[in-house]
Amino acid sequence: MQPMIIILKDGTDSSQGKSQVLSNISACQAVTEAIRTTLGPRGMDKLIVDGRGKATISNDGATILKLLEIIHPAARTLVDIAKSQDAEVGDGTTSVVLLTGEILKNARTFIEDGMHPTIIIRAIRKATALATKKVKEIAVHIKMDNIKEQRALLEKCARTTLSSKLIARQRDFFSKMVVDSVLMLDELLPLNMIGMKKVTGGSLEESRLVAGVAFKKTFSYAGFEMQQKKYLKPKIALLNIELELKAERDNAEIRLDNVAEYQKIVDAEWSILYNKLEKLHASGVNVVLSKLPIGDVATQYFADRDMFCAGRVQEDDLRRTQKACGGAIITTIENLDDKVQQVFGTCELFEETQIGSERYNFFTGCPKAKTATMILRGGADQFIDEVERSLHDAIMIVRRAVKNDSIVAGGGAIEMALSRTLRDFSRTIPGKEQLIIAAYAKAFEVIPRQLCENAGFDATNILNKLRQKHAENNIWFGVDIMNEDVTDNFIAAVWEPAVVKINAITAASEAACLILSVDETIKVPKSSAEPSNAAKAMNMV
Amino acid sequence: MAMHVPRAPGFASMMKEGAKYTHGLEEAVYRNINACKELSETTTSSFGPNGLNKMVINHIEKLFVTNDAASILREIDVVHPAAKILMLASDMQEKEIGDGTNYVILFGAKLLENAESLLRMGLSPSEITDGFNLALKKTLELLPTFEIKANLTKENLRDNEPIVSKVLQTAIGSKLFGYHEFLGELVTKACLTVTGSDSSASFNVDNVRICKILGGGLFQSTMIPGMVLKREVESEITRVNQARIAVFSCPIDIQVTETKGTVLLKSADELLAFSKDEEASIEYQIKALADMGINVIVSGGKVGEMALHFLNKYKIMTVRLMSKFDLRRVAKTIDAVVLPKLRAPTHEEIGACDSIYVDEIGETHVIIFKHEKSHISTIILRGSTDQILDDCERAVDDAVNNFKALTRDTMLLPGGGATEIELASKLSEYARTCPGIEQYAIQRFAETFEFIPKILAENSGVKSTEILAKLYVGHHDNPNLGFVIGQIQSEATQSNDITYDTGDVKLNELYDLYLTKKWAILFATKAACTVLSVDEIICAKPAGGPKPKENKGWDNDD
Repeated sequence: MQPMIIILKDGTDSSQGKSQVLSNISACQAVTEAIRTTLGPRGMDKLIVDGRGKATISNDGATILKLLEIIHPAARTLVDIAKSQDAEVGDGTTSVVLLTGEILKNARTFIEDGMHPTIIIRAIRKATALATKKVKEIAVHIKMDNIKEQRALLEKCARTTLSSKLIARQRDFFSKMVVDSVLMLDELLPLNMIGMKKVTGGSLEESRLVAGVAFKKTFSYAGFEMQQKKYLKPKIALLNIELELKAERDNAEIRLDNVAEYQKIVDAEWSILYNKLEKLHASGVNVVLSKLPIGDVATQYFADRDMFCAGRVQEDDLRRTQKACGGAIITTIENLDDKVQQVFGTCELFEETQIGSERYNFFTGCPKAKTATMILRGGADQFIDEVERSLHDAIMIVRRAVKNDSIVAGGGAIEMALSRTLRDFSRTIPGKEQLIIAAYAKAFEVIPRQLCENAGFDATNILNKLRQKHAENNIWFGVDIMNEDVTDNFIAAVWEPAVVKINAITAASEAACLILSVDETIKVPKSSAEPSNAAKAMNMV
Repeated sequence: MAMHVPRAPGFASMMKEGAKYTHGLEEAVYRNINACKELSETTTSSFGPNGLNKMVINHIEKLFVTNDAASILREIDVVHPAAKILMLASDMQEKEIGDGTNYVILFGAKLLENAESLLRMGLSPSEITDGFNLALKKTLELLPTFEIKANLTKENLRDNEPIVSKVLQTAIGSKLFGYHEFLGELVTKACLTVTGSDSSASFNVDNVRICKILGGGLFQSTMIPGMVLKREVESEITRVNQARIAVFSCPIDIQVTETKGTVLLKSADELLAFSKDEEASIEYQIKALADMGINVIVSGGKVGEMALHFLNKYKIMTVRLMSKFDLRRVAKTIDAVVLPKLRAPTHEEIGACDSIYVDEIGETHVIIFKHEKSHISTIILRGSTDQILDDCERAVDDAVNNFKALTRDTMLLPGGGATEIELASKLSEYARTCPGIEQYAIQRFAETFEFIPKILAENSGVKSTEILAKLYVGHHDNPNLGFVIGQIQSEATQSNDITYDTGDVKLNELYDLYLTKKWAILFATKAACTVLSVDEIICAKPAGGPKPKENKGWDNDD
């Protein structure tokens, strides 16, 4: 009559053993199913409505998984690796999740047969090391001696990425745009120096890249209409100063004893403002941008003197303008013509133009242009949002490709090559690892298979053809989506940076190992006001 | 429930209704022992290189995937009082050494399990604790005699990098087997960088920082002498070589008064001059800094826009840190003095750094303070999920703690269960020389040591009885025989399978630290004795009703 002993808090949930590993694998597979169909050029999009009723259309694995709000602890790992892939390379999020799911699925049979998870984990780690080594080995280095060759390489990589997105039809158009924008950046390739502005209406092809800065017209005051909207080679001042009548200091107090002095103070406040405006005018500035508001008085003052002004410019827009046009963001109006520092920026052309229903300020032909702005046009909001995400992926890929010049062929080609190498390798091992590495090799086939399935091809048929080609050492043969056949994807210019694949393989394997290595889940109930009492724990009630 | 045990009449009536008490062997001792046993069952399967992970979701719904016993126990909220004693012992080990927490739990629980059978034989708890204490004394005498001579002293740690690295690899191997060689070397390098040439100065665990960045794979982790901060700079300048740095704990801005004050203006002229003066004053201060040759400012407070304008003007890179501790560490890295007030520092107060720059790792922007002669080193961990990163952090933490223990005492013991088997056979010999009833207890104490290699073998899926028999036989000739897991060869061509067998741990370079073992055995035994010496448990009636209000002083007059 031994009573059960409760060591843990009341309500603590714990499950363990083989069944635990298996149930974790099942959970991961359920997640994989959700995004399986989004892979590849013929992948379908998902429409997700979140808790607040906001609809998102996407076929980006990371975006979908983030919106799904998964709470299962093991399945959350998949969301994490999608995020990590997103952070590291920006694209390939769907394939990394698929690969993890497939590795787990293949490992499942071994777990069921009673193989110890640590053996599986070790074999997977070994296979991963081999796979990444192989990728590095067969990756092709493109010499980037001249700009033209580099461009061609980058454009192909961008095109491969975009071909699996919503804007696949316009991929030539956009891949050029993406490469242009990335090549404009400085050597750090800061992502925030590529601005994306979305304007609903118009068609996708009306999207354009501005070598410089563009932003939406800011809120303006009376007098704005009178200002000129176009300047050639303007002198630009970027301010962090409020051009309005205001208290100089919040905690200042004025004590006076006569009316005359009072009038002087009023005049002084005006003169402070006018002083600022005069100094700006005297310095020969044509365009004044400020992070802070520019009031009525200032707007009219500038209008009278043939100057343009815009207040409340977004900070990142202002920073990009600074990057593009040079100069500095000025916090004080003193020392404007100081020689220590270049204060004003300039560009070839400043213009305010109409795009769709919006007015936009353009700064083009900038001398230092280390920044670019994309203006995206399109029908619905969700559509443009998805275009933005797709372009973000492509930009990330191009950024990676600029830093690493080795590439591999996509479209399932590299996966098949790895699969073959690993399968061959597995045959040389006498022990249990043979089975696992062979299973791991098979997991790679999920990518070409899914590509086929999404395109409505006979996957088995295509895969057999691929295996045959790869057995004959045609390492770059992959799925040809256009002709329902196999083709040399290297020649077909379906290129991906090798670093993308390496990261995907490492991330997928690490995640799979993590899930396999868990044999017990303990869930402590959410903390509440209930006092934990030892007596209950002792089961003495 | 054991109803037949007679309760002391009247005792219950002395207490409030609802209070519980139990006493005696059946009601208290056995149940306490059982609780400890159950606790250890959770952690048993995560012991050793082949131990499996646990997924723990704690009370704030945070997910942990780990096989670190200390973390598991911390997060699962143990409430049973006896089990808690064991947990506290492991906690103590965590604080003393930082590694070997699972060892404490397992050893303590097994000791109790053995004690239970002794109790059932009819020994009294005090006899058992006496025996255990005698055995403990003998164990601590025996331990130093097993030392593996590696010619390691506190002074020559830096010259013996390979051995140090092996020691740390053993520690990491029990958490992240497969990554242990890579990480071990990384941690060794990090630790040795911060250990000055005079090893007499104490090693601070805090000096090896860990920076976790999501993305990539574990093998992309690197070590940087200096600090890595997950922040971006405030200023336009993003890279400075041969930096001269001033560190301030105050905001870089126009100084404001603490006392509430108002600027009193008496005339219009004063109003006109006011902001001009203010600007001039801040420019003067920053110019003073620039004149000192300072090109980097690290601030613990806000950097005002006006100040930033002048900082950019004088081409000074500005870094703002949110954490006071980070500020202190940066100051330590670059040998600067943290100034509480915005003023030009003296030459001694200025820090120097080889290079400070902004880099992008994965998607994360980091500021790197790289300084070869730094007192702080940072390990940048990469991994594909947060859980992997957290687990790596714990493993690295344990390894760094091991290094610390190594700086205190460099004595090494054979690992892989070899020490335990040797102890077990030596102790049972000793038991036979004891005349009293404590002989039984000592004998059991000796047997408890067997469990360590046994669990190691079981977790690897090998027949433990066979291994144990082999070990005992082998120990007649070689005291360094232990349970060894064959290493995987990373070269693709070599396809040797993993082997689990007994082997000479000295040849396989599996070292445990003497300090870790000593404290683990000590803590576990003390905890077991404490649990055994309890024969009565009294629980006061738990306070019911809603929680008392925090704010009770409002009607103090009553």
